[in-house]
Amino acid sequence: MRVALFVTCLADALFPDVGRATVAVLRRAGCEVEFPLGQVCCGQMHANSGYRREALALVRRHTEVFSAFDAVVTPSGSCAAAARHQHATIATRAGDEDLADAARALAGKTYELSEFLTDVLGVVDLGASFPHRVTYHPTCHSTRLLHLGERPLTLLRHVRGLELAPLPDASTCCGFGGTFAVKNADTSTAMLADKMAAVRASGAEYVTAADASCLMHIGGGLARLRTGVRPIHLAEILAAREGGAGA
Amino acid sequence: MTGPVRDRRAATGDGGRGCPAGPLDLPHASPIGQLRQREPFPDAARVALRDSQLRANLGRATATIRAKRAAAVGEVPDWEALRLAGAAVKDDALDRLDELLATFSERVERAGGHVHVARDAAEANGIVCRLVAETGVGEVVKVKSMTTQEIGLNDALSAAGVHAVETDLAELIVQLADDLPSHILVPAIHRNRSEIRQIFLDHMPGVDPALADEPEALAAAARRYLRDRFLHASVAISSANFAVAETGTLVVVESEGNGRMCLTLPETLISVVGIEKLVASWADLGIFFQLLPRSSTAERMNPYTSTWTGVTPGDGPRNLHVVLVDNGRRATRADPIGREALRCIRCSACLNVCPVYERVGGHAYGSAYPGPIGAVLSPQLTGIEDNWSLPFASTLCGACYEVCPVRIDIPDLLVELRARHVEHARTKAKGAARRRAGDALEAAVMAASGWMMGGPRRWAAATRVVGTLSPLAARGLLDHLPPPLAGWTESRALPPLPRESFRAWWVRTQGGRDIDGAPVPAPAPTPTQLPAPMPTQLPVPSRARDLPVGTPTPAAAGSASARPSPPVSAGASAAALLARFAERLADYGSGVWFTEEEGVAAAVAGRVRGGLVLAAPGLDPAWLAGVPGAAHDDPSRPAPELDAVATAVTACRLAIAETGTIVLDHRDDQGRRALSLVPDHHVCIIRAEQIVAGVVEAVEALDPARPLTWISGPSATSDIELRRVVGVHGPRRLDAILLGAPEDLPPSAEPAPPRPSAAPPTPAGGASPSADSSRRYRPGLRASR
Ligand code: SF4
Repeated sequence: MRVALFVTCLADALFPDVGRATVAVLRRAGCEVEFPLGQVCCGQMHANSGYRREALALVRRHTEVFSAFDAVVTPSGSCAAAARHQHATIATRAGDEDLADAARALAGKTYELSEFLTDVLGVVDLGASFPHRVTYHPTCHSTRLLHLGERPLTLLRHVRGLELAPLPDASTCCGFGGTFAVKNADTSTAMLADKMAAVRASGAEYVTAADASCLMHIGGGLARLRTGVRPIHLAEILAAREGGAGA
Repeated sequence: MTGPVRDRRAATGDGGRGCPAGPLDLPHASPIGQLRQREPFPDAARVALRDSQLRANLGRATATIRAKRAAAVGEVPDWEALRLAGAAVKDDALDRLDELLATFSERVERAGGHVHVARDAAEANGIVCRLVAETGVGEVVKVKSMTTQEIGLNDALSAAGVHAVETDLAELIVQLADDLPSHILVPAIHRNRSEIRQIFLDHMPGVDPALADEPEALAAAARRYLRDRFLHASVAISSANFAVAETGTLVVVESEGNGRMCLTLPETLISVVGIEKLVASWADLGIFFQLLPRSSTAERMNPYTSTWTGVTPGDGPRNLHVVLVDNGRRATRADPIGREALRCIRCSACLNVCPVYERVGGHAYGSAYPGPIGAVLSPQLTGIEDNWSLPFASTLCGACYEVCPVRIDIPDLLVELRARHVEHARTKAKGAARRRAGDALEAAVMAASGWMMGGPRRWAAATRVVGTLSPLAARGLLDHLPPPLAGWTESRALPPLPRESFRAWWVRTQGGRDIDGAPVPAPAPTPTQLPAPMPTQLPVPSRARDLPVGTPTPAAAGSASARPSPPVSAGASAAALLARFAERLADYGSGVWFTEEEGVAAAVAGRVRGGLVLAAPGLDPAWLAGVPGAAHDDPSRPAPELDAVATAVTACRLAIAETGTIVLDHRDDQGRRALSLVPDHHVCIIRAEQIVAGVVEAVEALDPARPLTWISGPSATSDIELRRVVGVHGPRRLDAILLGAPEDLPPSAEPAPPRPSAAPPTPAGGASPSADSSRRYRPGLRASR
């Protein structure tokens, strides 16, 4: 099976460890991973900010780059959701039905990492070891658009040494929302404060999620307050091995 | 907290011209009223966020209602199918709007009402003011209404010298404080009990200075204050939750009984109705009477629903005026993407789950419509540029769409409106809008990033810049960035910047050769056939009637938190229906009693606690035999006289097992609407064979030409901190006497407690009822069916 990694622009530029961990996890699960260098960004930020001309160009590129693969896997619930729910609409509203068709076809084989592992590969135990207390934040798009539900938690429960700490009010938005965090910084900060309080109340050493963007936001807040609770992407935990030999 | 400023100019929409006769020949005006923000959302939100009391009030209230809603919705196995049906019915009505409006108007006129058409707020206000002026009154009573908020009717009336008394508890609180509503359903949600007490002490004439801050005491104070006004008002103003085209019926859904007072007692009723409230057929209500209460107040059924068609001789208002309001709705309807917002049934579920609303409250939205639906509806009704910042007031978390009972994809609409704003700014905006610094800078950033992402080379170059910044970040030099990123770095640290991007690493290591890719101990077999990703969209049927309501959908399955009892089916036995009805009605805090035919008189007598007892004119006299001095109502007596009555005794048209609802159609054995409303205690006798399984069966069986009152427990309010208080304007006590064959009655009910000595029974007339042998419903009976 030709599996393409869509690493996302954010992980590519700012969180390459997330990409490396995703590669490691997929290989251990028996996949051959390719990274098409033509990929850039799913266009979600542009689309959600109202810049649809720019978004359309990115959707077109994304569709061209990935259409030839059997499956596209991405370590981001939000970007998987964009491909699955937004791309065809963007194309249709721009009057490009061919692109919309191609985007729909691609949407049918685009997966968020935990979804790909559990639903497609049927793997829940990646042989990972992460002896820490971890709380999981179900990000909005992975919860409400992808309906990931228990999948990430199932994977985490199979990680050796990992103690899963329940997160109070888990499904409440962390307040990131892309440009929302900048345009409505005060409201975003208020939401972040509540999320951080919940994370701290969980007693966890690490907060994890299926989205690097929300983690950047939550982790940024936790770091500014010097709480000692660290953000870590789900893929990084799944790639972690005994003795710290991760990705 | 900082009080919001009222836009007096917007109220009349004519620069304060006031309220002359409705100029129906005006050129098409843009919609006006209380729909425009006065400052951008982020600025308004900043002020609200500083109000820690507001945040605490809102946080508590919304958390409460969220949990309750989830439970109420979890009980309905076909909830997802119902949502689809609700959306389809509304879409169908919007498609056929002109046809349905014509039918509706014709039916209303035929039933003795008058229909007026207003294109915008100013016209609507003009019409209402003229109608009120014709009656010569200086005061009107009002039922809570979003539409009249939207058009700014109260200010228009006030400019015309008419005082509009808000009678909904929360609206009253808002009005007394000269505040603005901040929630669709609970307009004073931003106030807690001690603030409300203070408002009453400061502004409510005749209030007891020793008023406590218990919600019960506050509700009682409102009851005392408003009762006289209800009894003596001659004009009422309402809106409607639904308008049924095929029958010309209007519907008001409420809790406190203030709606029933306004719809029943005054001589003239003016109903101001947005044209999107239309549904095609009477049967459609069977869908919305399930969706609305569970989504809004999180109840199986709200305490009172009134439906009326035109004028009913001898019962209720003699003059009915319906003012149909456009105010931007037709323009919204013409928009193929945005029209979805007109499905909204104003349940407020989207507000209660919105993380932004929860933090900033309703005032920051600057419109009669706050929260997620306000963020799409207000800019659509006014045109995007008048409310350009609202669509950005969301993280697009999707919680609103998830709960919306008519499946309005609010996040999608928000994104669409954002795009329209950006396009407007790019192409048409001149002057201020174009120069708006944030806009210009953002446009530059977006264009630049779009260019950068235009190809892998440019993008690779951009990611290399991150690497060069990495040492700066490590030394803390990027900890505080200038605007617009200051908002980010003020409260969040930047992540440590990597020296090498993912793609650079991939290229350098020739596809990540350095990665430990040893397979997991037991590699799973790789399926050759890829399963498709989870479907997340349900198929949308073209017509609601095509839907098999009753079929559980995958999305609904397993969503219920606790195991709710499955709904009773339409074919359930009389005993099963009776048991379910009793359980559900008792849940609202009503007394529920079982008896056989011979025991009715004693059971009625056993419920009376002294005072005047008045029965519906056609009620079987034998049923009153145990109450000395009980009389039958004479409908020609003025309704205010009913205030002296302690207990009203009526029969009913039917009852609904699933929701514990009693429906009266006010025939002879049930009496005029005022009879079961004004007295503080209502005793209702229900025959087991009158109980139907669910709301759909009830709607089918009822005659829309009759005025109908749906009663689910005693009057109640949740307007103070969303805590349920039983007893506001309608009867504070409701006793249901369930009359059945011995084999249908639950076996193990306990006998009634001894009659209170205050009302000693003296058998009247020739009948000599035995002692009260009726048995009270106790929750434990649920199992015995
Ligand atoms: S948009 Fe939907 S959830 Fe929000 S008030 Fe309207 S009907 Fe209710």
